[in-house]
Amino acid sequence: MSKRTGLSRYLFDRRVLDAVTQVAVVGGLCALIWYFVSNASDQLVRGGIASGFDFLWRSSGVDVPVKLIPHANASSYANLLLVGVLNTLLVSAIGIVIATVLGFAIGIARLSRNWLLARLCGAFIEFVRNIPLLFFVLAWYFVIVNMLPPLRQSLSPGAGIFLNNRGLYIPWPDQPSRFLAVPAAFLAGAVVFWLVRRWAAARRARTGRGFPVGTVGGILMLGLPLAAALGAGAASVWDVPVRGGFNFRGGIVLIPEFVAIVVALATYTAGFIAEIVRGGILAVSKGQIEAAQALGLKHGEILRLIVVPQAMRAIVPPLTSQYLNLIKNSSFGAFIAFPETVSVFLGSTLTQTGQAIEIAAITLAIYLAISLAVSALMNWYNRFVAIPTR
Amino acid sequence: MRFATPLIAGALLAALFNAPAPSLAQAPAAQPAAPSVPRPTLDAVRARGHLECGVHLGLPGFSFADNTGNWTGIDVDLCRAIAAAIFGDATKVRYTPTSVQQRWAVLTSNQVDLLSRNSTITFSRDVTLGLDFVGINFYEGQTFIVRRASGVNSVRQMDGATICVAAGSTEERQVQDYFQENNMRLTVINFQRNEDAVAAYDAERCDAYTAGLGALAGQRQRLRAPDQHVILQETISNDPQGPVVRQGDAHWGDLVRWVLNGMIAAEAFGITSQNVEQQRASSRNAEVRRMLGAEGNFGQMLGLSNDWLFNAIKQVGNYGESFERTVGMQSPLRLERGRNQLWLRGGILFTPPFQ
Repeated sequence: MSKRTGLSRYLFDRRVLDAVTQVAVVGGLCALIWYFVSNASDQLVRGGIASGFDFLWRSSGVDVPVKLIPHANASSYANLLLVGVLNTLLVSAIGIVIATVLGFAIGIARLSRNWLLARLCGAFIEFVRNIPLLFFVLAWYFVIVNMLPPLRQSLSPGAGIFLNNRGLYIPWPDQPSRFLAVPAAFLAGAVVFWLVRRWAAARRARTGRGFPVGTVGGILMLGLPLAAALGAGAASVWDVPVRGGFNFRGGIVLIPEFVAIVVALATYTAGFIAEIVRGGILAVSKGQIEAAQALGLKHGEILRLIVVPQAMRAIVPPLTSQYLNLIKNSSFGAFIAFPETVSVFLGSTLTQTGQAIEIAAITLAIYLAISLAVSALMNWYNRFVAIPTR
Repeated sequence: MRFATPLIAGALLAALFNAPAPSLAQAPAAQPAAPSVPRPTLDAVRARGHLECGVHLGLPGFSFADNTGNWTGIDVDLCRAIAAAIFGDATKVRYTPTSVQQRWAVLTSNQVDLLSRNSTITFSRDVTLGLDFVGINFYEGQTFIVRRASGVNSVRQMDGATICVAAGSTEERQVQDYFQENNMRLTVINFQRNEDAVAAYDAERCDAYTAGLGALAGQRQRLRAPDQHVILQETISNDPQGPVVRQGDAHWGDLVRWVLNGMIAAEAFGITSQNVEQQRASSRNAEVRRMLGAEGNFGQMLGLSNDWLFNAIKQVGNYGESFERTVGMQSPLRLERGRNQLWLRGGILFTPPFQ
């Protein structure tokens, strides 16, 4: 058979064909996007609908009850958006921490040899995994609002703390920055603990004698922050909530919208995480555990040294998806008046300005950025728990 | 349960992208009688065989579906009158319930022919949203509903109150502006859906729920114990509400505007659903004769038949009949006519002449 020459050689070259196909697909995609964009802008001009991003700097006229940065109704839509994004991050972060702790606990308890505990956890998992989240969020919210007493009959355990269906009112220090001593004490404790552990390991290698590392670590990492908290508390002047005409004034309030969305997200996602954890633990082959037992390792050591490191390998990737789900699901807060991104931006801002395309695009970009950042972080963490390969 | 907001936004985005422009929906040479005036919306309504009307999700007295799916209310009556004017049949309407957040997108993406859902006319909505407000069928004023036990009987007593409101409504902004102007503090809890805001108020999450006077009269019916709540009679705003159409079809705006004007004029001339036949046959008033098609061809000028208003009034009634039946003394809302009375009788409802 003669060798192909000239043009036909390129026509049948796999690499050339691949390149041509890819250029065609990308070109087609660009053309489609261009068609949509030009069609939409045409439509906006014809319909007399305003466009552009100038609206971001206009006064929003909207104030919200939960904000991590200063905001008043004279502040701009951009500031309102920032308030919403920070609130999204706040509920997501708290939700992720609680969901992770709860999910690991339930997932492990599901494997317990205690029949009642295992079945209860199983029932919880099946319950939350099989109902729609919107229903779950609304149910939590209206249960909290309807079950807690109204303002006039507020519950108070003393110490200036009040609980009613408008929230949990707690005293607030004049200078919250004093309490930065608490995480600082924790960090200091952790560093000392790390040094003690190294010293203890070296001594064991040298002399074979043990050292109560756990107890010392507990004292360092819990006792030091506790002492710092007590010190900061004593030094502060406390703003105690007092009953005003319509509300409590002073102190700080944890509103039911916030509690409901955090609790709903955490319990809902915990159901999924529990299943991931159970799957990860069951993925560690039984032979590994038997081998560890044969070596004489204790039960706790088997979990810590053999089971958990191998289970994490199977747990971390699907766990990332659950974290991303939780962040996106925090948008359900809009339905119970929690001022997160969707509520303040796709809700209030969109209806006031009507600039649907810009607002939807900004919102998409924000969720995308948050999700990609979390993914990157989790992938980085995954490199540590993955089995090292050469 | 309705879709989540992100879904709505997505759908809305898709709708904006995909919707054909109003002028493209035009069927060429459908109305050879007046080729100079393009009537894309009327042509589309005729071709479809019914009117698509965007209404409220459920507000007694304004637009509310009973348990048999039958819509009633003063806003619904306007849709029925327009259908009667076009088709001679007030039942040829399909209602699309729309939320506060969805409504403009539902209209601008051609899913409905008009919105008749107690929406307040404002500068920025009119100027930047691609909408045309073509009349006023209800002069609303924002006020508050509070628990009788709270002892509040004036807005000025509400310093420090917590107030439930629908996100994106004019009320959301107005209440904050008003409190700031009067140096009073408030906490606003803004819900995506009116009904959740009302439910939260009912559960004592808020001290007050704010909306228009008429809307509150309707929403009060849905509270657990309606008589334990009072609606403050003072209003903090002026909210003229009326039908909304898309910008770009001037003819359709004219049609909606003059059906509404016709209902108001009919009340002024004493034309009712009971006596409309007799009025057409024997009225000596030239304006009445023109309105009802006994003289001139006003209907044809709008691309309709000359008995357009006759049908609307015969089947739906004049403005006063509609008002009394839906929100007035014959309804559970028992609203006074107030400003929604004819200019002849001390109100501010007014209609230009049919000349």
